[in-house]
Amino acid sequence: MIAVEKLDFFYGASQALHGIDLRIPENRVTAFIGPSGCGKSTLLRCFNRMNDLIDGTRIGSGRILIQGVDIHDPDVDVISLRRQVGMVFQKSNPFPKSIFENIAYGLEVQGVKNRRRLEEVVEKSLRGAALWEEVKDRLHTSALGLSGGQQQRLCIARAIAVEPRIILMDEPCSALDPIATAKVEELIHELKRSYTIVIVTHNMQQAGRCSDLTAFFYLGRLVEMGRTEKIFTNPVQTQTEDYISGRFG
Amino acid sequence: MPDSQSTPAPERSVALAIRKEKRFRPLGLTADSAIRRFFQGNAAFAILALVLIMVFLLREGAGFFGQNSRGIRVYRLAGLEYVDIIKGQLDRHAELTRAANALRLKIYSDALAKGAAPQAATAALAGFDAFAEALGDASEDVRSLASDLTEQAAAVKQREQIYQDSIEQKAMLIRAGKAGAAAAVSSVAVDFGREIKALSASLPIYKDANRLFAKKLNASLAMAGPQSVPAAWTPQLSGLKAAAERYAATFPEVEAELAAWRYDAPVPWYRSVTAFLFGRQWLTASFWQDWYGIIPLFIGSLLVSLIALLIAVPLGVVAAIYVSEVAGTGEKTWIKPAIEFIAAIPSVVLGFFGVAILGQSLRAVSETTWLAWVPGFPMSERLNAFTAGCLLAFMAIPTIFSLAEDALTNVPRHFKEASFALGATRLQTILRVLVPASLSGLISAILLGFGRVIGETMVVLLCAGNRIAIPDFTQGLGAFFQPVHTMTGIIAQEMGEVVPGSIHYRALFMVGIVLFLLALGINYVAQRVVQRYRISIG
Ligand SMILES: Nc1ncnc2c1ncn2[C@@H]1O[C@H](COP(=O)(O)OP(=O)(O)O)[C@@H](O)[C@H]1O
Ligand SMILES: [Mg+2]
Repeated sequence: MIAVEKLDFFYGASQALHGIDLRIPENRVTAFIGPSGCGKSTLLRCFNRMNDLIDGTRIGSGRILIQGVDIHDPDVDVISLRRQVGMVFQKSNPFPKSIFENIAYGLEVQGVKNRRRLEEVVEKSLRGAALWEEVKDRLHTSALGLSGGQQQRLCIARAIAVEPRIILMDEPCSALDPIATAKVEELIHELKRSYTIVIVTHNMQQAGRCSDLTAFFYLGRLVEMGRTEKIFTNPVQTQTEDYISGRFG
Repeated sequence: MPDSQSTPAPERSVALAIRKEKRFRPLGLTADSAIRRFFQGNAAFAILALVLIMVFLLREGAGFFGQNSRGIRVYRLAGLEYVDIIKGQLDRHAELTRAANALRLKIYSDALAKGAAPQAATAALAGFDAFAEALGDASEDVRSLASDLTEQAAAVKQREQIYQDSIEQKAMLIRAGKAGAAAAVSSVAVDFGREIKALSASLPIYKDANRLFAKKLNASLAMAGPQSVPAAWTPQLSGLKAAAERYAATFPEVEAELAAWRYDAPVPWYRSVTAFLFGRQWLTASFWQDWYGIIPLFIGSLLVSLIALLIAVPLGVVAAIYVSEVAGTGEKTWIKPAIEFIAAIPSVVLGFFGVAILGQSLRAVSETTWLAWVPGFPMSERLNAFTAGCLLAFMAIPTIFSLAEDALTNVPRHFKEASFALGATRLQTILRVLVPASLSGLISAILLGFGRVIGETMVVLLCAGNRIAIPDFTQGLGAFFQPVHTMTGIIAQEMGEVVPGSIHYRALFMVGIVLFLLALGINYVAQRVVQRYRISIG
């Protein structure tokens, strides 16, 4: 689904990623783990070219293929790429609009005006994010009135409303309490059936609970990647073992 | 853990330290509280200055209403009001005559445009000219009566003025201890009742003159037969005639008004306030009657500000969007300081530029034929509301730009990222997320730009044309190109010439108070809007 080949990435003069090589399979949850500043978010934001928004960033060498298409090819339309590759951020970031408008936003910017269609998609997305029952009576109130966990699920609903193939999640639960975290994890489990999910997490238990594959990064390099049980029980590299057992990081 | 009895030593040293600190307190203040007092004092000083300004403005301005009320009373007692009723009738007649002349000009130039020779065109209008002349002369008798009455009333008013002056002089002498000199000052009170009799006695004469007026008017209308104008213009001619007939029909009303008029009818207390707030004339140092109505100045200020905002808001906001969302860091580092530098240009320099260059070039542009379709073009005056508005827009741009840019950059970055991540374009992100999220900030930027513009003095004084009149809004957008005077401009222009304590002086202070309240109101609303905005972003 996603293939990264020998990717070097720079913020201005400083190199954040060194020769990353990995493959992310379809309809699986892949977790990125590693100490802070090792480049997990940077790599994740390469997949939907969010790094384009930051001045001075560039790909040094290597490429990223999504379904066989090099996403940095000049012919690739970054808008349609981002519709295929949705993103959920660390800090939940609903717009200061109503719940309905938040979910409908992605379709409206595509030019969908049909009210019926929008209503259908809003309901479907909210059900998909397991939020419908909680908010169906207050769709037209401000999204900022929701609790933190609900806001994050709203952001997931907003991402799936445009029907992407891939969903990128950058530490989606780091600001949530354990109950809200459990709900989001349950949701990730559900979403796996229809989407390819890449999740960055700091939380080892979370990586263990919800991912199929785990990639461990250290200082901008991919140290090891494999099936989650394998990485957690029997890693090849000692660095991985040290990190997982909590000896550093 | 040691108990309290076993450690007496540290306790004593703490007590010593406290006593030591006490010794170093000048005026009983510690360094900390002295600093606090210092800042408190500065803040208090600013507030005190504000209060003093308000008290000063109110004290100087408050006397205005009493004086204005007296002025209006004398206006009635001396019969000026009576004469003005007749003058109003004559003014409406003059309007009618002007309309007739305007129609003649149109017909004439239309004939020329169709290739007629000037002599032929004039000859064809001979019938109309006779009518127009007769129409203009119809008011003769009423006019001469009005001018007699004007002199009478003005003389009465002047005697009243002399009497008031003499009273004042006496009071001054008595205060100075010169009772003898005071007694020698002659002062004769005006007996308005007797004086006014001469005026009211003219009513039958007026009625006769008026009857003659109506007759001549009708006679002139009879002269304007269908042949007096080319066939295409008959609708206009009959429109004019209908207006004249409507006018003639008001004569009995004028007569009734004159008959009912009483010189000693009381002037209601609010008259002096309404005459100021809703008065449509600002007329000073006139031999007849001074009027201090703020409306022409208020409208002038608003019109100039409106023009300035119409130009500055799009420019300032779009520049702010460009700098905060589109420009690269390289561009940002020079665009922002460049725009903000505009604020440092002294306004008198801008005003000078307006007089010397902008007014001239705008007029040159307005005279080009391919712009003739713009209402108000070609401009009749080089200096007008539009010239001043352009310069004020230039001055408001830095204010609007800086505040709008702040509001936009204060929108949390994650809103923008969320929008891009959903596949929105840059324009969609700006219009659908950034602008709504910073809307209150943008509104308050515009309001503060408005505050900046309405308080500006130098530029409007130099470039607005300084004609104290309500612009003729029947010309639509053409009103933008008429000269106006403003509240700030009138204060700057007249304050140097007035006698302190006179009614004119106090009227200028009242204008100042209105400006002050307006600025206060604008700032208050802007602050409220910003508060709402903080809450909505959370
Ligand atoms: N906008 C940026 N500009 C410059 N350097 C950055 C930027 N964002 C991240 N970095 C650097 O890139 C490296 C990787 O960061 P990041 O991908 O955020 O790490 P992680 O998500 O694994 O904690 C860090 O050294 C960080 O300092
Ligand atoms: Mg990160």
